[in-house]
Amino acid sequence: MISNEAKKEIDFWVSKYPEGRESSAVMQALTIVQKENGGSLNSELINDVAEYLEMPAISVQEVATFYENYNHKPVGKHVLRFCHNISCMLNGSDELISYLEDKLGVKTGEVSKDGLVSVKKVECLGACVGGPMCQIGDQYHEHLTKDKLDNILENLT
Amino acid sequence: MSDIEIEIDGQLVRANQGDSIINIADREGIEVPRFCYHKKLSVAANCRMCLVDVEGVPKAQPACSTPAANGMKIHTKNDKAKFAQKAVMEFLLINHPLDCPICDQGGECELQDVAMEYGSDVSKFNEGKRIVPDKGIGALIQTDMTRCIHCTRCVRFGAEVAGIVEMGGTGRGEGVKIEPFLTEGIQSELSGNMIDVCPVGALTSKPFRYEARTWQMNAVQSVARHDLVGSNIYTQSYRGKVKRVVARDNDSINETWISDRDRFSYEGLNHESRALKPKVKIDGLWQETDWQEALKFAIDGIKNNANSSEQFGVLSSKYASLEEFYLLQKLARNFGTENIDFRLDQAQLSNASSLESTITLSEIESIDHALIVGSYTRLEQPMINHRIRKATLNGASVNTINSKKFDFNYKTGLDVLTSPQKLRATLQSVLKAIHNKTNKDAPSFLSQVSPEDIHNKIADDLIESKNGVIVLGEHLNSNLDSIAITSLIEQIASAADLKIANITLSGNSLSAEKVGFMPDEKGMSAASMFNESTKAFLLMDVDLEYDFFDSKSAQDCFNQEDVFVVALSSFENQSLLNGADVILPMASYYETSGTHINFDGQAQSFSASVKSPGDSKPGWKIIKVMADLFELEGFDYIDSTQVKEQALQLSRNKSSFKDVDFENFDDSQITTHWQYTPYVTDSVTRRASALQKTNIGMIDSAFVSEATAKKLGIGNDDLYLGVPVSIVDSVAEDYVFVHTNQARKA
Repeated sequence: MISNEAKKEIDFWVSKYPEGRESSAVMQALTIVQKENGGSLNSELINDVAEYLEMPAISVQEVATFYENYNHKPVGKHVLRFCHNISCMLNGSDELISYLEDKLGVKTGEVSKDGLVSVKKVECLGACVGGPMCQIGDQYHEHLTKDKLDNILENLT
Repeated sequence: MSDIEIEIDGQLVRANQGDSIINIADREGIEVPRFCYHKKLSVAANCRMCLVDVEGVPKAQPACSTPAANGMKIHTKNDKAKFAQKAVMEFLLINHPLDCPICDQGGECELQDVAMEYGSDVSKFNEGKRIVPDKGIGALIQTDMTRCIHCTRCVRFGAEVAGIVEMGGTGRGEGVKIEPFLTEGIQSELSGNMIDVCPVGALTSKPFRYEARTWQMNAVQSVARHDLVGSNIYTQSYRGKVKRVVARDNDSINETWISDRDRFSYEGLNHESRALKPKVKIDGLWQETDWQEALKFAIDGIKNNANSSEQFGVLSSKYASLEEFYLLQKLARNFGTENIDFRLDQAQLSNASSLESTITLSEIESIDHALIVGSYTRLEQPMINHRIRKATLNGASVNTINSKKFDFNYKTGLDVLTSPQKLRATLQSVLKAIHNKTNKDAPSFLSQVSPEDIHNKIADDLIESKNGVIVLGEHLNSNLDSIAITSLIEQIASAADLKIANITLSGNSLSAEKVGFMPDEKGMSAASMFNESTKAFLLMDVDLEYDFFDSKSAQDCFNQEDVFVVALSSFENQSLLNGADVILPMASYYETSGTHINFDGQAQSFSASVKSPGDSKPGWKIIKVMADLFELEGFDYIDSTQVKEQALQLSRNKSSFKDVDFENFDDSQITTHWQYTPYVTDSVTRRASALQKTNIGMIDSAFVSEATAKKLGIGNDDLYLGVPVSIVDSVAEDYVFVHTNQARKA
């Protein structure tokens, strides 16, 4: 179920588009619903969004599976969105991701045992100048090294 | 018309500005390979297979999405075009499993054909291929999505034609999958067309799976008889059995689509309950016998039991062929009886033909407004509904007057909920509103009527429409007030200058009407035959449980000791064994030649696709021999074409609803309307097993409002006449809408 607060937020975005084009707000709606659900979506929520915006459910599913910013499995409190595209890769992102996986004892896409952290490989986040980099919440962390990562993880609560 | 000149492969061609190159090439017979382009769907340009070289443009261009311009020089087969096409083919084959030997599409596969022409025999690709797990999408369509090349034809079909967006492309890049959101199965009544549009073996027919290789089958042009459209089809048979039915193009009738009912009903032909040998019942015991004995038994029985010719009644389902209807009525009339009828499921019968439609199938596309009365059009007449949907895509509006709010695949504007017993009052109110608004004097029977607000709005829409149509649907058949209602529909149509689309009758009913397969004023109609006075019956393709409006009194009559019943039937079931005294096995659909008359009045003939099984014989031959044995004159036919020629010279008697007496009608009772799901309408479809397993085939609910449920003392999931109750608020009061695959009990 979509909460009333979430519906209000969605309505705000719907109002930005012309009448009859409510479905244009689908990305924002999914973002809002995902946030409310602790960072991930499920088919029930996708169905709810479809009903709310009067769209076919499969069309919402298409959007939700196309973009990296939607998660379809439960995630940790903090998601380390690790870029693995060319600039970051050349600067050693693969190595750092394996380091993280070993350190946390989880694979990308999984949640650490304490539920605090999950790691996700994402496409280019537009910070090539600072690669290797990752995004946690709204924050970019650039020029990463193993030490920097240790430091970041220690500060996550 | 043709305003530009272009050159394709050195050939000068005239074309219209803006036509796509592929369109022009197709018209000129120049082959351009393609997967995603389909003439009836929007252009996606995502497969890139149709790349051609346009002089002056540095890169090869997709022929499907490149509009032609004057003076364009196009090469479809030069080195540049071939190189581009081969490169695309190589990419498409990277992830294709190449399992053609076990693929049902093998032999009719567009990918296979194009790969022969453009593919390389050796792949440069050594990495692993992509595998897509199958979720399953229902009983009709077999999915093998690993074979999918993401052309999105099925997705576009759902969105643009079926009107139910069910398939979609999820994921991105190499991870794209074509799949439905739900795995419970596809909901559309036109879903089988996805099989036809799929250029590869990703979507194939489930009942046909591993039944035969496509090149082994014998394809025969035929016509589907399940509805008023008479969709054009090919039957494909292997070793004397119909294995598959596919659509045949006919733009004025079914375009390139057919309904699932037309496509999958053939399965019923091979059902275990087929009647294969003539049978007679002697002292209550059934004995198989030969044709000669059985016919003699039948003729003697009719002669002995019917003391006078008026004691003989002839009934048929609405799905027989024109020739069969013609011969059977001729037999009855020469025998001396007028007790002839095919309208077994109608509650109120007159001697007049049904209301005449004044619009054609293709004209429906260009209407600007439709008022649908008493019809779940999508399930009753899928292809007619498809035309209405096309009109709505061009801006037409649709209002409905129904006893329940139905799930149309287009938006409806005003939905008036009216129970069958109140339908007369509603229509009178609409008619009065039209008269008020057009300042015409209303007929005297409307003097007491004052229209409600919503009826005024319905009337406004009707008057404002320039090219409107009023659609009268199947629900009328079981309405005890149908004659008055038909009259009102006719009056509304004439007062608001509307066309009429009468889709109350289905199957081949228009053939039956053409040859007068109904009683004149001396005879008895189907509704009045089951009394003491009829002692012998001849039934053609009649199911005793499903086909009658009042099946109990019909069966009670047939089951009487002194009533002799001869049944021409393709199938046997317990009720027939109880009621009949002779069963003469009859050829079914696709096993006999015949003619179907469709909504447009078009007589479409078809020949037999396969031989009928066992000892069964074509209906028209059985009737002819019976007439000979009765020693009746005028049955010297050599083939069915002669019968057809005679039959087509007849014309249906006029329908007349002008002078209907609007006497009082009791509308205080709670009524029940029994509507069949589309997959139990006729004897063959009823036995088609895959259709029964679809969402539509499994519909089985008695819809009732909360207040009415209280009056009837029923609750959710109780059984009402054997059908599970579902309390909803989208149904009229004092009324139960039973939508079911079970035989009629009310």
